[in-house]
Amino acid sequence: MKRWIAIGAALTLGLAACSDPSAAPETASGTVTWADPTAKLDGVKLTIWAAQNSNTVPKSVVDAFQQATGATVDVVTVPDPYEQSVQTKVATGDKPDLAFWQPTASMLTAINARTNLQPLTDAPWLPSLDPALKDITGLLDGTRYAALVTSPAVEGVYYNKEVFAAQGITATPKSFDEMITLARSLKAKGVTPFHEMGADRWATQWWVQVQLADAAKAGLWDRINSGQAKFTDPDVVKAIETYDGLIKEGLFNSDIKTAKFEDQGTALLDGKAAMVVQVNSFFGQLQAKADTATLDEKIGFFPISPSGNVGTFIPDQSNALVAFKTGDAKREAAARQLLAYWMGPGYQAFVTDRNTVSLETAVPSPAGVPKALLDVHASLPTAVGSMQALAVANPDLYINLADMIAGTMTPQQVATATQDQFVQLAKAAGYLK
Amino acid sequence: MTTFTTGAPGAISRRTHPLWFLVPAYVLLLVFFFLPTVFNFVYAFTDWSGFKAAINPVGLDNFVQLTSDGTLFRSLRITIVYAVLVAVFQNLFGFGLAVLLERDTVVNRIARVFFLVPVLMSALAVGYIFQALLKGTGWLADTTWTIVVVALIHAWKWMGLSMLIYLAGLKTIPLDVTEAAHIDGASQWRTFWSVRVPFLAPAVTFNVATALLGSMNGFDIVQATTGGGPARTTEILNIFIYRTFGQGLFAQATTMSLVLFLLVALMAFPVIHVLRRREEIL
Repeated sequence: MKRWIAIGAALTLGLAACSDPSAAPETASGTVTWADPTAKLDGVKLTIWAAQNSNTVPKSVVDAFQQATGATVDVVTVPDPYEQSVQTKVATGDKPDLAFWQPTASMLTAINARTNLQPLTDAPWLPSLDPALKDITGLLDGTRYAALVTSPAVEGVYYNKEVFAAQGITATPKSFDEMITLARSLKAKGVTPFHEMGADRWATQWWVQVQLADAAKAGLWDRINSGQAKFTDPDVVKAIETYDGLIKEGLFNSDIKTAKFEDQGTALLDGKAAMVVQVNSFFGQLQAKADTATLDEKIGFFPISPSGNVGTFIPDQSNALVAFKTGDAKREAAARQLLAYWMGPGYQAFVTDRNTVSLETAVPSPAGVPKALLDVHASLPTAVGSMQALAVANPDLYINLADMIAGTMTPQQVATATQDQFVQLAKAAGYLK
Repeated sequence: MTTFTTGAPGAISRRTHPLWFLVPAYVLLLVFFFLPTVFNFVYAFTDWSGFKAAINPVGLDNFVQLTSDGTLFRSLRITIVYAVLVAVFQNLFGFGLAVLLERDTVVNRIARVFFLVPVLMSALAVGYIFQALLKGTGWLADTTWTIVVVALIHAWKWMGLSMLIYLAGLKTIPLDVTEAAHIDGASQWRTFWSVRVPFLAPAVTFNVATALLGSMNGFDIVQATTGGGPARTTEILNIFIYRTFGQGLFAQATTMSLVLFLLVALMAFPVIHVLRRREEIL
């Protein structure tokens, strides 16, 4: 009998422990203090989580910060799929001091920002930022949780300048329809107009999103967030159908079902395809394949939307950092101080080392930044938010679209499946009651 | 049956230690085996997610939501097709190899080692190797046949183990039985199918059950080879669970793993029961 009582007690204890280990009291967003960026931090040890494609980003700035403050900063690479690995670790109570994180509302929700992240209210570097970019992302319900360190990615069209020139095209298209007209004339001349990667899937969604850019400007995502609009509404379905129609028309590479991300870069560089609708990481791939001079000569960028040259911005994980609530006030302050150093005294050296576009008006971009990246950055002030940037949940639209390309789903089914998953995720996140 | 009588004259006392010495062992069992299983049930009825700290009971909501969405049933169907294919291929290959390599010659011993090497290899390595080998052939891009290709890869990896077990089964057949068949005038063929194969029934039970149930819980080989593609036609349930968990929908993922657990249990009992009945002739 005693035994059973003991087992019962153990079981009860076990069940009582059945609460989310990441649970921490939600602090009221009061004032946040910011230490001098170079104040001494001897003996303080900070950890930064980074992904395989962002772990080299903080190297130089971290070295400089360690020298200036005496703190020890450890950059830990979390294996891919990065977001998934980080979410799982955080859910089980494992937190770094800082981490690279996609600064969008949906991803801040996904990591439970209100509970897990430090608010970065009144950050000292905010006044130095380009006013057009200051509040473009990193906010959730009006509270700032992420520090944008590099220029956010934009969905748009990368094109091969030499292919355009060879066909006598001197000006880039001014709207989505113009682009399609151009694509048809290229096809008539035997050139593959577009390249898509059906096997690696994730880029498929850009085609739908750029078509929704004008609707996004008119508040499409707000309406989808509140349930007033759905993915199954005619405007979204039409964008999916148009994409499907263009593929069936033969405007894409013939190996669209099996093509991968790597193939896309090779195809555009070699002129096997004229255009690719992609984001900045695609250009990163091109940079790994060719030097800046070659890229400036061969590759151009223009944003596109139905009404004109409007880009769709999609900040990604390598663009921003978040600071975690670790419960250790000293380390939390040090983490904020590192961000202040990064975006303050260390920023010029950082953009020079990374050869990337500067976000601060007083800090010039280095001379070696490729032309296409400058064009991408230039499109930001007028760009509209992507689904990732503005929707409260991020359904697997790309997987459904890839299934459509493979021929197992119709555009209507893509819309329905995406809507169902959006509702499921939004409900779990506490939206769409 | 051990009796715990003490003091009775002539009885040997087996009770050398007090029973509560078992408590540490049972605590470990409880904490590491029983509680996780209980939680697997409990969390399936909550709204546990990566989005918020609180975990609230939601009753059968997760089950209703999953059954209303066709994805679960599609994944279940793919999982069963995959498991059956793997069970068939692995046993055919393993059985064939065991019969071919039955005699203990030097060549056969070396060959057995080679067929056993894939069993020892990492499943992810096997998957990535085949992905690289089949890249560009279209074998992993067909929405109908890729599941068969992946099942063949799974069977290829594990056929050495089936071979080993069938070999052990063949070795334990009493010589006098085959000799008797021979004296009775049975042909080689007849002896093999009517005398030796029935003796393999226990090996068949073990091989079919482990291959079927092991591949129901499969993940690594499929993830490394196709990642569930093309067009999710090889998305077995564990890959679907992995994707769902990755989206922060922990409760839904737990619900699915509970469904998988029930499915494996539901399939295991009848399959093992039927196979055990075949052994009764021995």
